[in-house]
Amino acid sequence: MITVHDIHKAYGAKAVLKGVDACFPARSLTSLIGPNGAGKTTLLLMIARLTAPGRGEVRIEGRPVAGIDIGEYARRVATLRQAPDFNLRLTVEELVAFGRFPYSRGALTREDQRVIDEAIAFLSLEPLRHAYLDELSGGQRQMAFLAMTIAQQTDYLLLDEPLNNLDIKHAVQIMRALRRLCDEQGRTVILVVHDINFAASYSDHIVAMKEGAVYCAGSVAEVITEARLGELYGLAFDITQGQRGRLCNYFNP
Amino acid sequence: MMRLQPRHAVWIVVVTLALIFVFLHSGLDFDYVIPKRIARLTAMLIGGAAIAWSSITFQTLTGNRILTPAIMGYEAVYLLWQALLILFMGSASLVLLGVNGNFVLSVLLMLGYSWGIHRWLFRDGKSNVYFLLLVGFVLTLLISTFTQFVQLKVSPGEFSILQGFSQASFNRAQPLQLLFSGLLVGAVCLLGRKTLPTLDVLSLGRDQAVSLGVDYRRNVRLHLALIAILVAVSTSLLGPTAFMGVFVANITYALARTFRHRVTLPLGGAIATGMFITAQLLVEHVFNYKTTVGILVNLVCGGYFLVLMVRTRGAP
Repeated sequence: MITVHDIHKAYGAKAVLKGVDACFPARSLTSLIGPNGAGKTTLLLMIARLTAPGRGEVRIEGRPVAGIDIGEYARRVATLRQAPDFNLRLTVEELVAFGRFPYSRGALTREDQRVIDEAIAFLSLEPLRHAYLDELSGGQRQMAFLAMTIAQQTDYLLLDEPLNNLDIKHAVQIMRALRRLCDEQGRTVILVVHDINFAASYSDHIVAMKEGAVYCAGSVAEVITEARLGELYGLAFDITQGQRGRLCNYFNP
Repeated sequence: MMRLQPRHAVWIVVVTLALIFVFLHSGLDFDYVIPKRIARLTAMLIGGAAIAWSSITFQTLTGNRILTPAIMGYEAVYLLWQALLILFMGSASLVLLGVNGNFVLSVLLMLGYSWGIHRWLFRDGKSNVYFLLLVGFVLTLLISTFTQFVQLKVSPGEFSILQGFSQASFNRAQPLQLLFSGLLVGAVCLLGRKTLPTLDVLSLGRDQAVSLGVDYRRNVRLHLALIAILVAVSTSLLGPTAFMGVFVANITYALARTFRHRVTLPLGGAIATGMFITAQLLVEHVFNYKTTVGILVNLVCGGYFLVLMVRTRGAP
């Protein structure tokens, strides 16, 4: 379980997070939702240790993360930001192999190779194994990066808007993969997501943020209600419960 | 059957060039001509390794393929130092300090300069490489302008001495300097060798590197320090090479076909050395010293780089 305690962060005079307390249960998929500028990504980056909190503390299983060696942390928490645009000529397999760096520091063992193969198989990326990243579509690239994160074999996975710029098919593929990581491998997944319907269909737990603080948090049934979402986004919501889950309609006011 | 890859061909070409350089029209004079040529070849090797290593790792740290460490102002500091020496002590400074004294002082000055700006920029936990680049660039402009200001104050004779310092050359390297530079560059390469896998990870960018357990701040500082040593040595030994590093790095990426520093750094060293030898051969045997190595190096590198770009675009 990851918990955050009284987190404050300001960029210059602008306060981005104002006293955030939240808890991300183990072995479940938690979505961070909320309007732009609510501080979701900042909070996620703090858990990833990519940004330092101004005040407050992030704890992993009760232990403050600031005291953990960064090399050890990479074997417990893996982070995927939006697939970066670098101009390296790299194959999918070479990218996934980077996921083993926290263990082997560059010299791959047989065990590393097995984990790499598994991660590639888990996302059905075998046909693309030797393809170069710059030849892939945005969705395939995102899958390749996700495979690298999976090969890191961490208990915790943090993802910053993994569905950005993806078509609906790839978005569903990514969410299903995350769900399976959670259910089949017992990993804890925390992601920032903008599509409220994906959050409603795939999450166990939702943390909704607004203006630098937690607006409400709880199970999907507790958070995804017309009243709460309406106030969170300032839009009129119409939530219908169908056979395949909840559907939030906010498209026409 | 093993196919000859471009990156292996480079080594064969460089060794051939080196042999031609040492023996062409030498009359097999092992007392004077050949030892002199071997000294120049050693300077090229040391300079080539330093330029390739510093440029390629600098581009990895900045995630940018059109930069060289020159943008941090090392060469500008070197030229300002030479200009000030001439201004205050006149051409007598050459005798007073001696070539070795000037060499050591130049190295120390550039190291002090980089230590100062790194220390100031990385104070209280900051580690913004782009800010470092911006400050380096502004300092380069400022120092260069100041150098020009000084140059206007010196006499035409002294000005021509300064001109000599602003051009790369292999002729002024003395045996003692070669030994000292060789040891320094060798030490950097040995120290850096262990970090090559980490450098590969750093090329994924800061966020991904941190997420993979790399202590970003520590590694960036380490590599900037190594780069500062290499640039200080190569500039003091050969003079400014400005943007040669851009050509060397990009030719290396095109021929290596891999991002791994284990391959690109040695290959880059070979390519830089090859370029130096080609330019020096042209200066000695074709242009009869009527042009300078600095000009030819850029011409040779630039020309080859363009050919490479056109050719790889045409390839499937």
